[in-house]
Amino acid sequence: MYFLAFISSVFEQSTPILLAALAAMITLRANILNVAVEGMMLIAAFTAIAVGDATQSAWLALLSAVGVAIIFSQLLAVLTLRFQADFIVAGLGINLLGAGVTLFMLEWFYESPGGLRPTEFPDLWHIPSTPSFYIPVFSGMSIIVVIALLMVPVSYLFLYHTPTGFYLRAVGEDEHAARSAGIRVGAMKALAVGISGLLSGLAGAQLAMDKLHFFLPDMTSGRGFVGLAATLFGNGLPGMTTFAAFLFGFFGALGDRLQAFNIPSEFVLMLPYVAAVLGLTFARWRAYRRARPAKIERA
Amino acid sequence: MFHHLKAFGRAVGAPLGAIICTLAIGFAIVAAISDDPVLAYHELLFANFASLSNFALFLNRATPLTLIALGVIFSFRAGVFNVGGEGQLYVGAISAAVVGVGLSQLPAPILLPISILAGVLAGAFLGWIPAVLKVRLAVDEVVTTLMLNIIALLLTSYLANNVIRDGTAYGAVSKLVPDGIWLPSIPGIPGASIAFPAAVILAFLSWVVLFWTPWGARLRASGVNLRFAEAIGVAADKYVISAMLIAGGFGGLAGALYVLGIGHRFDQNFSPAYGLVGLTCALLARVHPLGALATSLFYAMMLNGAAYMQISTEVPRSLVNLLTGLLVLLMTARLRRVRRA
Repeated sequence: MYFLAFISSVFEQSTPILLAALAAMITLRANILNVAVEGMMLIAAFTAIAVGDATQSAWLALLSAVGVAIIFSQLLAVLTLRFQADFIVAGLGINLLGAGVTLFMLEWFYESPGGLRPTEFPDLWHIPSTPSFYIPVFSGMSIIVVIALLMVPVSYLFLYHTPTGFYLRAVGEDEHAARSAGIRVGAMKALAVGISGLLSGLAGAQLAMDKLHFFLPDMTSGRGFVGLAATLFGNGLPGMTTFAAFLFGFFGALGDRLQAFNIPSEFVLMLPYVAAVLGLTFARWRAYRRARPAKIERA
Repeated sequence: MFHHLKAFGRAVGAPLGAIICTLAIGFAIVAAISDDPVLAYHELLFANFASLSNFALFLNRATPLTLIALGVIFSFRAGVFNVGGEGQLYVGAISAAVVGVGLSQLPAPILLPISILAGVLAGAFLGWIPAVLKVRLAVDEVVTTLMLNIIALLLTSYLANNVIRDGTAYGAVSKLVPDGIWLPSIPGIPGASIAFPAAVILAFLSWVVLFWTPWGARLRASGVNLRFAEAIGVAADKYVISAMLIAGGFGGLAGALYVLGIGHRFDQNFSPAYGLVGLTCALLARVHPLGALATSLFYAMMLNGAAYMQISTEVPRSLVNLLTGLLVLLMTARLRRVRRA
């Protein structure tokens, strides 16, 4: 029972990271290092709570969160593709803008800089725990968790079994060759960034809407970057990326449990980030080992 | 002479354009939400000079921004996209605080340099980690520096809450460092730490080192093209690591000088994202040390002025956060259409 609760917690913690990782993965395959995932998640979380509070409708909140994230992603796309902005700087700019806009809205519109805590908030659809439906681990999961898990095979199919996915990967592999072949590079990159926005929006909505039902400034706390780390760890492959995301989520959930054992909370909170750095290092180390030339024997 | 002026104009044009654009958009926002936008902007920009104490606060804010920006400049010039300023700032601050509080029985003339050195070394260490990973294993430094920021902040929170915590104060603050090692003020401007003139001097020194010494030239060569640099005999790896040690050192110095000169203690919430804003200042100045001094002063003006603006006109201070994001986006976009290669 305790173990099942832990597994549920792992799924819950991993989902925003998984969605962020998939978001980063799609753009990575188009040769974009999308650091804006964090900012898009944050703005989506805020929108979810704000709209949910105003309309008391979970679906509207979810849709608007994803919509706003996509809008921000297209802002990034326009700046980088049309105006030749640097992807990383612009991504950081989006993060700053997201943090600034949410803080500004909190201070000006809601006059509550500490956070937005609606008194009543609608619930997402969760997998029901009725006896006929009861699968121990899956019951109680929000719909976004379900969508996230479905997104893993969907992203695989998209990247490897659709023409658009193929073009996207081509753009990532060799932009000039893709352009010569007639692939519209700008459109592909914009699409990648847009999908990234959609997934980040889901991640942010999940973070705010699943159990918490409130918004705090800097709520995402670097989860977007952990997702980015998971993608880099998995080298942009769906399987490894998912594994890495769950690994990092596992450490996050473990951290919550360890707090009960008198280990200082800060070290426990550090675990996913340390895991991300170690994981990246390990992945690069493996690549380094494999790429090393064989020892040349002296004659 | 005229040629130099034109080159300067071209260099300054884009960032200046971005700043003006951002201020204009900000003015539009303020006009939409406040009855007296002119007053709001007046407070935002000029209240810094209204009184000596305001001015002192403004200089104090400019100091960490300048130092972090200088560090970022060294790392960027060596080709490293170092986003770790915040973490380096924090570990520098906590190290100076821990040393200052822990070794308080030492006489001040010894304790002061040791505290500063502790801060610098801590920051340098935090910069060394991503550098070594990048150079040996090609681990992307953007992600490692970002992760290390978060790890560093959690570490300092632990230390501030548990090891050197001041039980009498509210929140995650450390005990005061012994007043023998508090930095003096600038003569004539009470409250403004002497760290600011130090930062200005370091800015000039950085400019000289980067642009007028062979070492600086080799560092910049490593940044422009790593393989080319190695081909002409520049040990680019070493320069990358040195640059990150310097960058981390600057961040650590910023933290140490802040703790010793301004807060006199470590406060977990002392930084309004100085790291990221310092990075912005460096980029806005096109990673030029003297330009960074100018942009840091401009930013400090806005950061400090935001509080005055909120007091007089109820325009929220976070407007500056919003404008910061806009500024970063605008400054990296290029308005002139570049012909595709």
